[in-house]
Amino acid sequence: MASTVIGVGITIEGEITSDEDVLVQGTIRGKVVAKDGITIDQGGVVEADIASGPVAVAGAVTGNIHSTDRVDLQNGAKVIGNVKATRITIADGAQFKGNVDMDV
Amino acid sequence: MAKVAETTVIGRATFVRGRVIGTGDLEIAGRIEGEIQCSGEALVDTSGLVAANINAQRIVVRGAVRGDLVADESVHVEAGAKVVGNLRAPRIAIASGGLVRGHVQTGSAPLARPIARAASAATPSRAATTTAAHARPAAQTREVARETVAQAGREVRTVVTAPAQVKAAPAPTAAAAPITPDKQTSRREPPPPVVPVLKKGTKAVQKKR
Repeated sequence: MASTVIGVGITIEGEITSDEDVLVQGTIRGKVVAKDGITIDQGGVVEADIASGPVAVAGAVTGNIHSTDRVDLQNGAKVIGNVKATRITIADGAQFKGNVDMDV
Repeated sequence: MAKVAETTVIGRATFVRGRVIGTGDLEIAGRIEGEIQCSGEALVDTSGLVAANINAQRIVVRGAVRGDLVADESVHVEAGAKVVGNLRAPRIAIASGGLVRGHVQTGSAPLARPIARAASAATPSRAATTTAAHARPAAQTREVARETVAQAGREVRTVVTAPAQVKAAPAPTAAAAPITPDKQTSRREPPPPVVPVLKKGTKAVQKKR
């Protein structure tokens, strides 16, 4: 269980900086910086640039994702934006529009 | 899981700058700067630092809050809590050991709000008027002082001009009278600088001394 949870009904407009895991089930608009991982659950909406450790997306992300570790776009994910990470997986059923930069 | 998801948790190591709005409960163990509105319970934990106005159904404070707390149901300020801001809710509890600096108002919030606003609006205006009242005499006195100074200058000038006229003609008062209006218009300008004429060598003499 992540130590920071943005619940279903909650909208955050602004900047989130976290040194721990973040679980998003609600909505975030602005900017997200997480040292540890960030998980966007199904139903979660992030309209923000994400800079984080491992990123797992099952919800919707509009914005660039910059991960120092890996990005997993799971089934049901909808991502519009560029992804920069060392490893990336896009599951069957994930929607993705954007560039991938894997630091080759 | 769905029930768990209703509560939003801002963890210890998380900092949010902006607005946090929505339904469900909110548990704050980290930092929030901005504005908080939630339809459930807002709990500021012992490690929580909030610099925001909180608007919620119920508010429980165990940490530190700088901002107004407005609850539709109740506000609990528990031991070890620090609140700098106004509290407004139908029921308010401040436990011993809870620090509060601000205006506290219990009672039905919807009725109280406009009154409180009116009161809060009235008190600053009163304060403003009093300060203005205090300020006005000072300003007036300053103005008076300026006028007196100006008048003194005028008198001096008239005095200076008068002897010359007296020397020239013994009764030029009638002639002087029409001159004064022109002078009044010219009086608004600062007096011409008085430059003492030094004789040759005086500066050198002063320096030598």
